[in-house]
This record gives sequence, structure tokens and C-alpha cells, in this order.
Amino acid sequence: MSRGRGDTAERVLRGPVLWTGITLLTLFALGPFLWVFLTSLKTRADLYATPLRYLPVELTAANYADAWTSKLTPFSRFFANSLWVSSVTMVATTGVSILAGYALARFRFAGRNALLLVFLATQMFPAVLLIAPLLSQWYALGLIDTYQALIYSNLSFTVPFTVWMLVGYFDAIPRDLEESALIDGCGRFGALCRIVLPLAAPGIAATAIFAFVTSWSELLFAITFTTQTEMRTLSAGLLFMVGQYEIQWGQLSAGVMISTVPVAVLFTYLQRHLIRGLSAGALKG
Amino acid sequence: MAPSDATVAVALPRSFSSRRARELMTGYLYLVPVAIALGGTIVVPILKAMHMSLFNYVLIKPQEYGFVGLGNYTRLLRDETFWLTLWNSFVWVFGSVSLQFLGGFAAALLLHQSFRGRAFVRTVTLLPWIVPGVVVALVWEWLYQPNYGVINDVLLRAGVLRDRVAWLSDPGLAMPAVIATNVWRGVPFFAIMLLAGLQAIPEDLYEAARVDGAPVTRRFWHITLPLLRPIIIVATATRVIWTFNYADLIFVMTGGGPANATQITSTYTLLMAYANLDFGYAATLSVVLLVIMLVFTVLYLRVTRGIESVT
Repeated sequence: MSRGRGDTAERVLRGPVLWTGITLLTLFALGPFLWVFLTSLKTRADLYATPLRYLPVELTAANYADAWTSKLTPFSRFFANSLWVSSVTMVATTGVSILAGYALARFRFAGRNALLLVFLATQMFPAVLLIAPLLSQWYALGLIDTYQALIYSNLSFTVPFTVWMLVGYFDAIPRDLEESALIDGCGRFGALCRIVLPLAAPGIAATAIFAFVTSWSELLFAITFTTQTEMRTLSAGLLFMVGQYEIQWGQLSAGVMISTVPVAVLFTYLQRHLIRGLSAGALKG
Repeated sequence: MAPSDATVAVALPRSFSSRRARELMTGYLYLVPVAIALGGTIVVPILKAMHMSLFNYVLIKPQEYGFVGLGNYTRLLRDETFWLTLWNSFVWVFGSVSLQFLGGFAAALLLHQSFRGRAFVRTVTLLPWIVPGVVVALVWEWLYQPNYGVINDVLLRAGVLRDRVAWLSDPGLAMPAVIATNVWRGVPFFAIMLLAGLQAIPEDLYEAARVDGAPVTRRFWHITLPLLRPIIIVATATRVIWTFNYADLIFVMTGGGPANATQITSTYTLLMAYANLDFGYAATLSVVLLVIMLVFTVLYLRVTRGIESVT
């Protein structure tokens, strides 16, 4: 490396321009969240003061307590609903996509490539397109306001991506390991459980978290397939809070923080795996 | 195919060919759950949408239910709002994706440099992209709020504005405002995709160019850009399709208003089903969306195939 030998333009780029850029980028990404976090800690007086008070004079946790226990928009209930719907979706997605991913990675049957293409295409499938038929389907089956309808519908956007990711992970595991297990009298399923799953564990964990996080964020199914307050997830609950007669920005900001923190933490953990999967998937096309 | 199968069957002991058949059976068996998962949530609903689009089917008017043939489609052709939503979708996609690309490219170039705290800045940059869509919408609704929003306050203090602006209820400003929000949400996507691309470019190329005395701008135009081309095309194509379909932000922030100024085709479809309970017409719009999607997807696959055969 010939450091310091770069031209002037390069030295300016690496110095002041770089640091200004990084500061702006951080502010750009973090600023809006900081503002909402500050809002969630403000009392009514601070919130609606003129001129605007940027920092709260008096810190309060009342907004969080109110949002959590509110009768109209009970965030404790929304949180529990989101947790249940996302967890079951995660488990179902993982089970389904392990079996499908393994089959697509190991068995050379007719139509395999066409199937892979279908999984790629359905990843970009819009939820809005499915709302009308699914809603009328759940009406007909009497499944409005049930967890089943939400969880089952969620599979439409989790499964295509996770299957695609897992085919890649399973493909990367050498076949020899399984072959010897198969010869030793292990069945296919035994080989899958004892040999392949432990090796693919990081990939499976990443897809599971992906399924959890996307279900946690899901909004459109959650508002169309539920009508009762007790059945709403966090995303739907936040939207209905806005629908109330006057928007309580303090409580709403607390609700936003409650909905955001779990996914932010999970994603930070997941980052590396997911980015690798994304760029690999995109490049394979 | 058939002759070679026959020779195999003759040449090898029976037990082997039946084992092969059993293997294939197992393979298909493993696909049964995924068939159930996507059959009931994608395949059947699409067929149902096609069927529903041929009926006058408004949930709250059961007495008017009946077969109308292509009636919903002629209604669509004469529906001025529908044509407006197509134009709005174009503005929404073009505005969002082009600005997301520019912002994301700048962010990727920054994050590719080595500096202290890079891991932290990288994680922070991702935040707007990973939080729920409704959260993004509400955060920005609060920033745009006319009386207590920080955007108006900052612009007033800086002297850019003289009066408070109602960003989301002004027909001329609502679309730029929702696009700005979507840009904020989408910059991280381009940033990480392009960062992955930058990291895949061998450092030797830059070294060689540096030895030859090529300045930083030349290296950018002649090494960085050409080598990033495949990933730029793939990321942009993915993003165009995704943005065209993305309804959450607009639905929460403006509901397509004021006066349909921000109504895009996907939010229009959503409102027909969700607010009007007009399933017949919503299904018709879904079928149209599906056709547009298929065109996009075929184009996308051709583009990516092209890239694959080049690399």
C-alpha cells in the first residue's frame, strides 16, 4: 500500500468528505428515530409547547405505561398477539422450508428448475394482490378474527424466500457425509436430521429470524383479517391508534418504540447472514 | 430418456431401481407441506381472484351479486381514477428508486472505506429498512405534522419557509413527501447491495490503476462502475417491482389522498377490497396487477439471465 501518495482529490475525499458524509449518513438514518424516542419521553406540556421544545424538560415513562395498559389500544395485548403470530409463523415456515429446501437441493426430479423459478418469482408477489381473494376465502371459512387465518396467510410471503435461501445452504453441504450415513442404514429423514441440520444450523437460524421479523412487521393482512381489538397485532394496533379521535403522539411514539426494538435487535444479530443470502440470491437470479 | 431408463432397469438388480423410485417418492413427499402452504395462500387465491373478477360482488350488497362477464374490466377501462393511479405509480416508482439508488450508492461508497466505528454506522444505516412499514409511516407523519412537526420547525427557523406547511394534505406536496419517506426507507437496501458488490471487486485492480497514475475519478468510472453494473441492474429491477407493489407507506400516511394525489394502483386495489368491500372490482384490479407483475418478472429474468451469461 502506497499511503499518502494519492493525489489531492483523494486526500480530500478520504479526510473531510468522508467524515462529513459519515456524520450526515448517521444523522439521516438515526435522526427520525431519535426524534420519536424523545417524543415518547415527553410530557404533554413539553410535547405541545410553542416554540417547539427539542429536549424534554421533564422526563416521563407515562407514555409507555399508558400505551401498555390502555383500554382502547392495549399494547400489552397487541404485543402478545404479535409474539404468538410471528412465533408460529416462524416455526411453520422453518419446518416447511427445511423439507422443501432439502428436497430441491438433493433430489433431481422433473420440473425442479421450474419450481425454483416459481419460488424466485413469488418472492416478489404483492400482498395487495392477495387481499381480496384471501379475505373472501376467510369469510367463507369463518376464519375472520382468528390466529390461524393470519398465520396461514403469512406463509405466502415468508416461505418463498426461506425455501430459496435454504436450497442455497443445503447445496453447499457436501453430499458424501450423507451418503455414508445412508449406507450405514440411516433413512433419508435420519440423514437430514442428524447430518444436514446441524451443519446448516446458522442458515436455518437466519431464515427463522427472517420469518419472525417479516411477520412481526406485516400490516395489510393484520388489518383486513381482524376486526376486534383483542385480535390486533402491533402493526395493526398502531394504525388503529391513529384512527382514534385525537392522535396521542406521546403514546403513539411509545407504541412505535415498543414495536421497533425487538426487530431492530433481531436484525442486528441477523445482519451478516441475511446480507449474504440477499446478494447471493440476487446474483444467482 | 426412456431407452436409458430401460437399460438401467435391465442392467441393475430390481432392488436398486425400486430404491430409486422410493427416493423420488420421498422427494415429492417433502414437497407436500410447501404445496399446502403456498397452494392455499397464493395459487387458490389467484384462481379465485380471476373468478371473482367476473362477478358483481360487493360484500355489503349481497342482493346485487351476480355474473357480469367482463363488466368489471370495461368499468376499469372507463375508470379515470385507475388511469390516474397508473401515472401516480410511475411517478412513485421512478422518484423513489432513482433517489434511493443515488443515496444508497453514496452510502455504500462511504461504508466501503475503513474508519473507526464502521460496524456501528453500518448497523445504524440499516435501521430505516428493517423496522415495520407502519412505524416508518407514523414516524414521518409525526415529522411532517404541521404544528408540532420538527421539519416545519427547522425550515421555519432556517428561513426556508415563511409559513407552516401541511405536507401530507397539500395535493402538490403529498406525493413528494411520501416519496421522500420511501427514499429514507429504501436507501439502506441499495447501500448493502452495492456494498456487497464493492467488496467483491479485487483490490489489485485499484492498485494497478494507482501505479499507472489514474486519479480517483478515473478509477471510479473505469473500474468501480463497470464492475458494479450487474448488481446495479439486479438491485434496481428488484426494487422497481417491489416499489410498484408497496402499499403500506401511502396507505398509512395519506390513504391515497388528498383527492387521489398519492393514489397508486396497489393502494387503490387495497382500498377497493378493504374500505369499499367491492371484491369483484378489487379482484379485477388484482388480475391487472398480476399481469403487470408477470411482465415485470419476465423482463427481470431476461435481464438477470443476460448478466449470468456474461459473467
